[in-house]
Amino acid sequence: MSSHLLLQAVVLGVLTGGVYSLWSAGLTLIFGVMRVVNIAHAAFLVLSAYLSWFAYTELGIDPLLSLFATVPAFFVVGVLIQRLLLARLRDHVTMMSVLLTTALAITIEGSLGMLWTGSHRGIEISYSTSSFSLAGISFPSDQVIGFVLAALTFFALFMLLRHSRYGKALRATIQNPDAASLLGIKTTTIQGIGFGLGLATAAVGGLILGLIHPFFPATHWAWIARIMAIIVLGGLGSVTGAALAALLMGVIESVVLVTLSPVWAGMIFYLVLAGTLVFRPHGFFGGRLAERF
Amino acid sequence: MTYFSTYSLSRSFGGVRAVNDATVEIEQGKISALIGPNGSGKTTFFNLVTGMITADAGKVLFKGSSIGGLKPHQVALRGVGRTFQITRLFREMTVLENMLVPVRRFGVRELLKDAVGGSEAARAMLWLDRVGLTKLQGEPAANLSYGQQKLLELASLMMSEPELVLLDEPAGGVNPVMIQRISGLVRELNSEGTTFFIVEHNMPLVMDLCDHVVVFDAGIPIAKGTPDVIRDDPKVIEAYLGG
Repeated sequence: MSSHLLLQAVVLGVLTGGVYSLWSAGLTLIFGVMRVVNIAHAAFLVLSAYLSWFAYTELGIDPLLSLFATVPAFFVVGVLIQRLLLARLRDHVTMMSVLLTTALAITIEGSLGMLWTGSHRGIEISYSTSSFSLAGISFPSDQVIGFVLAALTFFALFMLLRHSRYGKALRATIQNPDAASLLGIKTTTIQGIGFGLGLATAAVGGLILGLIHPFFPATHWAWIARIMAIIVLGGLGSVTGAALAALLMGVIESVVLVTLSPVWAGMIFYLVLAGTLVFRPHGFFGGRLAERF
Repeated sequence: MTYFSTYSLSRSFGGVRAVNDATVEIEQGKISALIGPNGSGKTTFFNLVTGMITADAGKVLFKGSSIGGLKPHQVALRGVGRTFQITRLFREMTVLENMLVPVRRFGVRELLKDAVGGSEAARAMLWLDRVGLTKLQGEPAANLSYGQQKLLELASLMMSEPELVLLDEPAGGVNPVMIQRISGLVRELNSEGTTFFIVEHNMPLVMDLCDHVVVFDAGIPIAKGTPDVIRDDPKVIEAYLGG
């Protein structure tokens, strides 16, 4: 195989991996904050893709503009899910959240099917179908737009977690909720915002999904499996770990796709997941759980 | 008006009355102690007044208004702070980060502020200097000695500017030199206006440091008064020596 083809594969892998970073960041944040396994995360991605698609095809609103509605809406929905549903699970939250969020995923999938049937959809906008070349490497516009959007959103999330008082209060809440509340931190609000932020990133991520990939109501199962594998590899709860693991997996997937076959490209996620769980269950990038962002 | 008081505060666990009809008052500006044998309900009492557990019955009043039934963060924002018998620092944060966790107001604007910059960081450095932990500011809290952790816990609590501070065994498990530093700090803070209520087993320290002592036995306040009066109270001696 030519080195040019390999380079092309790596470039596409980085672009894909950047998008995976954003998808996994939201999921791993939600796990880190509340020990909630959000099986519905990819269903929310697909929901956002549908909303942007609908706004574009039916109402003629540019998909990038629809973010101004979907991001705040997803944030509010996230806060409500945490406060009204997840908070009731209390001590059983990790195990029971799997059931609860699976139910949410199925509900979203069913509703989308009812509203818009099971047909494949895609968001095709004039500026996303072209591509440009740089030093002989081809850059598809939709993937570049997706990567840039993902990077910007990821950066904003990272800055908020790393450098704001909210981020500090969140870390305090994760490490020791009792002590945090005695220092004046309203831990339930902190957790609600955490879940809201996780879903807000899914609103952006969903638009990117819609721009790059065809989607239908049940597509989320394939995606949730991939991003679960990524966050396990990155260390559950670690936002930076998830980003690194996502980039790595994006590149591996792309290179395998070119060198071996598309079948193995999809399989590689499950192999990595199994390998990680066997050899290093706490992931490769995370430190101790509470310190992970 | 009493500064801080509880009336008939009660809490049972199963059939055990951990705190039983406890009416306790403490005065502003004083250092008061809560003593009693192990299992006499002292920590439960602190957990009740800080909202960490709910009371079965009774009232908690602070500066004329009821704080019973409030959530822990609400109690904290009213100006009542506490430390723990076994320190509860954020072990994986640095010393300086620990200092910046407490919040004095809770709102969106507050939460979006820079975490380790600005006037808060400057205040934190003053406190660290005061407790002698400046050099350790970048260390994870888990790396500190136990006594240093106690100092850090108290210093970080002071960042939230509490008026009333509840200390749960500040001298427990700490070497004598560190006990001197902690008690010296308490005395200084008290002279600057902070009121203290202290659970402590170290009797010489209690007698030396405190203005007023409340004694618990089996969840019931059995005696109160100055250290000298308490020392000679037959009920207290009986509670401690068994009966």
